[in-house]
Amino acid sequence: MWKNVYEWLDERLGLNDLYKNLLDRPEPKGNWWNTLGSAALFLFILQGVTGIFLTVYYTPSPDHAYDSINYIMNGVAFGWLIRGIHHWGATLMVVVVFIHMLRVFVTASFKYPRELTWLIGIGLFLVTLGMGFTGYLLPWNQQSYWATTVGTQIAGSVPFIGDFILKVLRGGSDLSALTLQRFFSAHIWMLPAALAGLIGVHLYLIIKHGESNFPSKED
Amino acid sequence: MDNETKQKINKRYERELNRGERFWPDSIFKDLIVSLGIFVLLIMLATFIGVDAQPRVDPSDTTYIPRPEWYFLFLFKFLAIYGQIPVLGKIEWLATVAVPGLVILVLALMPFIDRNPNRYYGKRVLPISVMAIIVVDIVMLTIMADVPTVTENGSMLPGILQAIAGMVIPLVAIILLFLMTFVFRKTSTKTMIWTAAISAILTIGLTGGVLAWFPVPATTETAVATTLVDQISAGQDLYSVNCVECHGDDGKVTKIEGVKGLEGKLIPAINSTDVLYTLDDATLAEVIAYGRPEAGMTPFGKAYGGQLSTSDIENIVTFMRYTWDDRFEAPKLKPLYPPLAAGEVPSYDVHIAPIVKRYCLSCHQAGKQNNNYLMDTYDDILKTGDQAPNVTAGDENSTLLKVIEGTPIPDPKDPTQTLIRAMPPNGHMSPDIINVFKLWIMNGMPQTAEDAAKLSVTPTPGAGSTGTPATTPTP
Ligand code: HEC
Ligand code: HEC
Ligand code: HEM
Repeated sequence: MWKNVYEWLDERLGLNDLYKNLLDRPEPKGNWWNTLGSAALFLFILQGVTGIFLTVYYTPSPDHAYDSINYIMNGVAFGWLIRGIHHWGATLMVVVVFIHMLRVFVTASFKYPRELTWLIGIGLFLVTLGMGFTGYLLPWNQQSYWATTVGTQIAGSVPFIGDFILKVLRGGSDLSALTLQRFFSAHIWMLPAALAGLIGVHLYLIIKHGESNFPSKED
Repeated sequence: MDNETKQKINKRYERELNRGERFWPDSIFKDLIVSLGIFVLLIMLATFIGVDAQPRVDPSDTTYIPRPEWYFLFLFKFLAIYGQIPVLGKIEWLATVAVPGLVILVLALMPFIDRNPNRYYGKRVLPISVMAIIVVDIVMLTIMADVPTVTENGSMLPGILQAIAGMVIPLVAIILLFLMTFVFRKTSTKTMIWTAAISAILTIGLTGGVLAWFPVPATTETAVATTLVDQISAGQDLYSVNCVECHGDDGKVTKIEGVKGLEGKLIPAINSTDVLYTLDDATLAEVIAYGRPEAGMTPFGKAYGGQLSTSDIENIVTFMRYTWDDRFEAPKLKPLYPPLAAGEVPSYDVHIAPIVKRYCLSCHQAGKQNNNYLMDTYDDILKTGDQAPNVTAGDENSTLLKVIEGTPIPDPKDPTQTLIRAMPPNGHMSPDIINVFKLWIMNGMPQTAEDAAKLSVTPTPGAGSTGTPATTPTP
């Protein structure tokens, strides 16, 4: 019975081909450091899932953001757990992505033929930091407000176009409802979309070239 | 890279694949274990550490020290150190844009800068050493982030040491490594590794020194009320300290008494529906922040020169609503002090301090009209005041006891005049509370709960008391 179902599905979906091409691939001898990329991927998915749950109650307006977070922490069943995972997940993701980058650097896995994988990776690193920066403002508390004030000021110190950047980030010359709205939009739509797209290319390149072997004296 | 090298690399990779493993299940298995471990770690962090509650936004509070997400702290420290450099330190964008931008650019272009096809560590000493130095530096800058660059008495020493640890040593080491590779050429791998190691050790050691010699200033972390109950009690405490003076502990006052300059002024009772129904939360908050300067109510909001933050004012409004507004149903609140058992002696810490805070502190703090009688600490209550001492252990006629029982103290020089009015001047406390004061004074005014427990008489034998002389031994 199951065999029939599987065969029916395989005929239309090509499950066997998928299995052969994606899963049943040869790899060089594995190493625990090579699990960090997939750990980053796992964290990205986890952040996505917990983040989606958070948007059920979170309201991105200066009047309600703080109280909605408060409600998530105290009023919603397991809200504290979801927010806790999202909060610590963000921290851990930055750490994991950074160490992943270090391991790629140390094993020189960015060299031929994986140069593009590395370039995309730099993009991923920057966007991950961007996620942290935009997410930090959303609780709209003292800490986030002032950190963002200073953070956007730093971005505004670029010569010539600094003023323009500052206004684009803040949606005006000061932090306001517009800033919150903008950071929210960036945090839940623009940056995750960029991240997902870049991760797609990153993974494609990894499957295409295979995981690099750990360098030995021969390399 | 020529085709020959490429082919060599591909051949070599082919060989590795042949003696390698399968992606499924070998690699995936390891990935799943690590991801599962991370998941468990996250649940533990969320459960046992959680997320700190932070105060509400207050754009007027410019004294707030901004603190970015921890993984940006090293950049903050870098900027602070850079800002001390004479002349160059004034050109902000060099540190905020040029240096980080350059680092990212070099990192991104790594595959095109490091063109030598070797991947073995021994053949890549320069890039790995430089990266190691930078990573150690980033970690150390993060650790030092909270140490200020200038001490309280203006000494620049911490800043200079931080600059040496976080900037000079790494920079010198990196320059040396480059010189060894490209100018001296013949330097051995060992020397380069030692250079990197020594610079890392110096950076770490100096950071340890900075932390040991210049302690991080303690930040006044005030607990943030997040639940309704906490908000109401926080609001009540703030109300007690700031408003009781004029509006009374229950908001009932319609004629101000005992306040310099406002003696006898008629005001609306702020616990009345008149006030509570006509003013919405935002207006109430605005009244508290801005005050009613023309009528004599001083501004309380930080934006107008007062002491209270937006969160504080919000809490006061919540307290007013849930205590006086009959449209709101108050949740169960903690009692002001734990009820006394028969024979139990109250202590300052547990009983008197919260009562004083609610009923007296608003007037009896520095800078108010109160005959110099301060009630903010145990010692002040015992020792200060024009009539000091106002309380004497075991004395039923202590001034404090008399005035709270509602007996004004007449002026000894002119008995027709009152020297001290009944306290609090704008209403009196319930008999229970007055009784707590009386028990406290008559039993020797213990400060801590332990002292009070020693003085307590336990009517039932064997209930934990360490045998006070007052109890008669049981057969
Ligand atoms: C120095 C005395 C003083 C203190 C302290 C004080 N008030 Fe007042 N308050 C007044 C006076 C006087 C008025 C009457 C203003 C008027 O008549 O318009 C007033 C009016 C008010 C009103 C508005 C009543 C209305 O109908 O407009 C509110 C609400 C209020 N006070 C709340 C507070 C709160 C809350 C605090 C503590 C943070 C406080 N006050 C502290 C003196 C004071
Ligand atoms: C509305 C402000 C106000 C409040 C509230 C208040 N006091 Fe007073 N208190 C005064 C003033 C003003 C004096 C100075 C004497 C006078 O004007 O009657 C004073 C004087 C005293 C003195 C005499 C001090 C001395 O050495 O001359 C005592 C004792 C005292 N208060 C106790 C209390 C106690 C206990 C409470 C709390 C239950 C309290 N007061 C609450 C305003 C206040
Ligand atoms: C959101 C962030 C990222 C995700 C989800 C991600 C995901 C992955 C995964 C799943 C792998 C294969 C497994 C492994 O080698 O660990 C991988 C490999 C790789 N990653 Fe990333 N990565 C991220 C960020 C980065 C960054 C910041 C860089 C470097 C700048 C980078 C460069 C590379 C390279 C060059 C490889 C190939 C390594 C090899 O073949 O040995 N990645 N990445």
